[in-house]
Amino acid sequence: MAQRRPGSVRYAIFERAAPFIGFIASAIVLVGIVIVLGENPANALSAIYKFTLQTSAKLAAVLSVSIPFYLSGLAVALAFKAGVFNIGVEGQYFVGGFTAALVGIYLHVPPAIHIPLVVLAAMLGGALWAFVPAILKVKRGIHEVITTILFNNIAIALVTYFVNNPFTGLQKGQSLEPQTRKILPTAIFEKLNGLFRSLGWNVPDYVYLDYSLVVAIIFGAVIWFLLARTRYGFEIRAIGTSIDVSRYAGIRVDRVQIGAFLASGALAGLIGLQEIFAIRGFYTYSLASGLGFDGIAISLIGRNSPVGVIFSAGLFGFLRQAGYGLQLFTRVPNSVTYAIEGLMILFIVVINEILVRAVRGMRKKEAG
Amino acid sequence: MSESLLEMRGITKRFPGVTANDGVSFDLKPGEIHALVGENGAGKTTLMKILYGLHRPDAGSILVRGAPVTIRGPREAIRLGIGMVHQHFMLFSPFTVLENVTLGEESHTAGVLRPSIPRRRIEKLVKENSLAVDCDSRVEDLSVGVQQRVEILKILYRGAAILVFDEPTAVLTPQEAGELFKTFREMKRQGNGVVFISHKLDEVLEIADRITVIRHGRVVRTIARAEATKQTIAELMVGKPVLLDVKRDALEPGGVVLEVRNLVIRSPRGYAAVDDLSLSVRSGEIYGIAGVEGNGQTELVKAIAEGAEVQSGDILLQGVDIRRMSVRERRERGIAHIPEDRQKEGLLLPFSVAWNIALGSHQRPPFASRLQLINTKAVREHARSVIAQYDIRTPSEETPANALSGGNQQKTVVAREIGTGAILLVAAQPTRGVDIGATEFIHTQLLAARSKGRAVLLISADLDELLALSDRIGVIFKGKIINEFTHDKAVREEVGLYMTGEKSHGAA
Amino acid sequence: MDLSFVTFFLVKGLEISSPIAFAALGGVFSERGGVVNIALEGIMTVTALTLVWGAITFQSIWIGLLVSVITGMLMGFIHALVTVTFKVDHVVSGVAINIFAIGLTRFLCQSWFGQETQSAINSRLFPSWLGINSLAFWLIPVTILAWFAINRTVFGLRLRSVGENPEAADTLGVNVYLMRYAGVIISGALCGLGTATLFADKWISGMVAGRGFIALAAVIFGRWNPIGAVLASLLFGYADTVRIVFETRIPIPVQFVQMFPYVLALVVLAGLAGKARAPAADGRAFEKGEG
Repeated sequence: MAQRRPGSVRYAIFERAAPFIGFIASAIVLVGIVIVLGENPANALSAIYKFTLQTSAKLAAVLSVSIPFYLSGLAVALAFKAGVFNIGVEGQYFVGGFTAALVGIYLHVPPAIHIPLVVLAAMLGGALWAFVPAILKVKRGIHEVITTILFNNIAIALVTYFVNNPFTGLQKGQSLEPQTRKILPTAIFEKLNGLFRSLGWNVPDYVYLDYSLVVAIIFGAVIWFLLARTRYGFEIRAIGTSIDVSRYAGIRVDRVQIGAFLASGALAGLIGLQEIFAIRGFYTYSLASGLGFDGIAISLIGRNSPVGVIFSAGLFGFLRQAGYGLQLFTRVPNSVTYAIEGLMILFIVVINEILVRAVRGMRKKEAG
Repeated sequence: MSESLLEMRGITKRFPGVTANDGVSFDLKPGEIHALVGENGAGKTTLMKILYGLHRPDAGSILVRGAPVTIRGPREAIRLGIGMVHQHFMLFSPFTVLENVTLGEESHTAGVLRPSIPRRRIEKLVKENSLAVDCDSRVEDLSVGVQQRVEILKILYRGAAILVFDEPTAVLTPQEAGELFKTFREMKRQGNGVVFISHKLDEVLEIADRITVIRHGRVVRTIARAEATKQTIAELMVGKPVLLDVKRDALEPGGVVLEVRNLVIRSPRGYAAVDDLSLSVRSGEIYGIAGVEGNGQTELVKAIAEGAEVQSGDILLQGVDIRRMSVRERRERGIAHIPEDRQKEGLLLPFSVAWNIALGSHQRPPFASRLQLINTKAVREHARSVIAQYDIRTPSEETPANALSGGNQQKTVVAREIGTGAILLVAAQPTRGVDIGATEFIHTQLLAARSKGRAVLLISADLDELLALSDRIGVIFKGKIINEFTHDKAVREEVGLYMTGEKSHGAA
Repeated sequence: MDLSFVTFFLVKGLEISSPIAFAALGGVFSERGGVVNIALEGIMTVTALTLVWGAITFQSIWIGLLVSVITGMLMGFIHALVTVTFKVDHVVSGVAINIFAIGLTRFLCQSWFGQETQSAINSRLFPSWLGINSLAFWLIPVTILAWFAINRTVFGLRLRSVGENPEAADTLGVNVYLMRYAGVIISGALCGLGTATLFADKWISGMVAGRGFIALAAVIFGRWNPIGAVLASLLFGYADTVRIVFETRIPIPVQFVQMFPYVLALVVLAGLAGKARAPAADGRAFEKGEG
């Protein structure tokens, strides 16, 4: 076993400290806003606590809300590791959700086959939507930020069309929101609440801890393993560090980068599974929006690592619930949390840069 | 004793981890060419950057024409008549010569540019100093020698009386260096002072009036030209008797390892960067390519080592055509490459030294199992032995590469590439920006590879390095090898004539 | 096709192109100075809101415009601070600001107007001329001014030098940080001007609808020069006008027609043979003394 020198532990801590410091800075700002809005900060904090951490039911709600956040952050993080800015998660998630829904609606197979096929279809849809931007980036050098965002807009329009016309599930005269037909019972993502209750965690029925939680855990582990323990993970990280150096070392930059981009899209496709297959039971283009951008925020806060994203996704889930709590019990509006999220990202990226540079300087001094 | 043009007294400058200048004193008289010599990293450039206002000294004082001054930035330096021509040109490629010369000192009316005034002044300077340059050419279209003239115009335009040149001949042929020295003598005649930073002792002895030697941030001695010899200066620079010539064993080269035949490579700008180029390198041989930067060396290296596209011609490795092979295939067949720019092309800076050593072989056992899982233990152990063998100074194999000094970074790259056991080693500028100790070591490694029967293709802007190491030298000019010299027949001046194209197609 | 229709089309197209064109001009200033500005979209979102707020609160659309421009400059300042002083990656900062803008506008809209996604109606609008928002006509003089500033002034030369080779500019005594800040703040101001040509009667969440990103495509397509960027913006804008005018008259489903400007932008980007040359130091952090 190699010895860990004390210096390097210190460096490791410094390098990872930014999210925590940023969080504290944002919390201070939040308290400031609360005071300005004329609310008692103690009141606000207790409202937050009541709504998020006080009971196991509330904790379960935070966890439930965090699942799509985690998948989104993971998708973005994987892309970032490969040097790709996948801003197209929003579009990939809509398309992936749609292709999964089609499989869930029109395929008649037993659940043991249906559910994996649904997951696969979601991944294929998401990867499909990442394909063109990936090729344009790698073969033509076109910056993926612009192409993926344009693809987002196209995705929404496309999906809107499909839900309104060929695949509509509404009968003439029904005035519900536009939606597809219902997902077949064999594809529904059942809740695991019973399982948790038997383990002693009292999860109420209105909270959704369903198969998508399993999906998130499995893929999280897979991606972590891929990046940390496999040669492909090394190559992905190398490319994200320097394309030229990777190329000179014989790494197949084009293939690996496209692969990472497509994998990121595939992960993005999974985001909607909870909402479509557990909560709603059908597909609609009015799915929760903004998850794509949230994913970017979550990834940045989690320092673009699969493990960091666990914490930042949880943090986001916590913040969203906190926002509701504030709105219900105090006169602080929900939108404050959105503003704070944005501010927190800015704090974190700045502090992170400062810390990373400081550590670099310290290491240089040590090396002489 | 005439009044000094410039005096720097007791200058001290510290950076995190290193004291670059420690109580340095230096003076310059009018009408003098004063050379500042020392190894890479000795502190010469730092001292001049302080003079030019790019750094502020921690201690010490500066006097210009006897009056103490504080130089807070380049603007003040310029106002005091100090001009600096940097080692790496500070030019704006897509801008014209006029724009480059006048930037920062533009003639304008209420912010609107008026180019006619500078044009006249520049044309006058061009005539007076015989620096042939056209105001409206774009800098990116100019050759390196002409670009340097633009740099000189820049400082003359600003009325420099103290002219500092940082390694100006690094990119010039011997003939162009001669032209530059003519300019130095003209400056001298006009009563200006020239500071000439160099590590090329022959040139220093040719042109300098006085020589100041710096070592580890301190002035060792300042001596007059009459008292100086190459040997004494070198010893002052390094602090011990120096072997100025590397030991080369006579070797009988083996079979052809690399053969390049009639290679044509078109640059994105349309012209042929490599134009019907042929050469061959045998095992147990170092083939050096001499040439002014921009004559096709970079493209040639990219075609051999990186798999860049080739319009026509052959590249054969042990008789096999490798043109269509990927970089990985080439590496597996035995091509190793020390790239020109270690930071941008050779190292994954945030990664540990250990992983940088494993890079390129990371996909093979023992570093990766057949299941493509990485074996961290093997990587670390291998790295530790390499670090010991090559004397790479690093706190640990886990230290990120960006913490290492330039010389140690280069040693890491060299260790890695030679360690692949490749049959062809393509080394591009292997000792650029590297201190003497590491340079000596790298030269030894290259010669050792040669002794083991490897073929080495050495591209270098340092003619002395090529002359010392190469069994054969091919001069590249406008994309062709126009002449080859064997080791015994290679003489600096003659090689230089071919490099500039003054001579072409002779027999060795 | 009668004359009045042609005039209408030309003029309407100008109005629709203006927000993109102003933002694209902003992008040019920022990027010529070496700072990649992905935050155009976010800046436009925030300035659109503050425009409406300013017009309502101060009962004058011109004050609203002033507020919009100042807000744009403030947002630009933040981007400059994060990228130039703190040296965060330009794209990361741009994306972070876009996210921040979403949250900030929700919060401000809530605080000012009581709901998150829509503001109150502002009845004080810009004077009309030829049937459209007269502010759109400012595009022409502003473009000429921008071209002149970049190519014929001391400021423009120094800005460009900083985007090409900041280390060299530094040795010549140019204040690299100041120039970069200036470029980015100007881009923010232009965004503020551009959103005023969008609609000024109210603010709706999502109203910018990707125009900030289309502006970036226009900057690239226009090869980073002001005239080219504006022409490219006009291309996109007029294409969008075609869509609006003919939307209801073609038998294609409305969503496909809606996609048109985005698809066009993609096709244009993909079709650019031979990458246009960005300013050499675009996106690269500058550290004084590391030259």
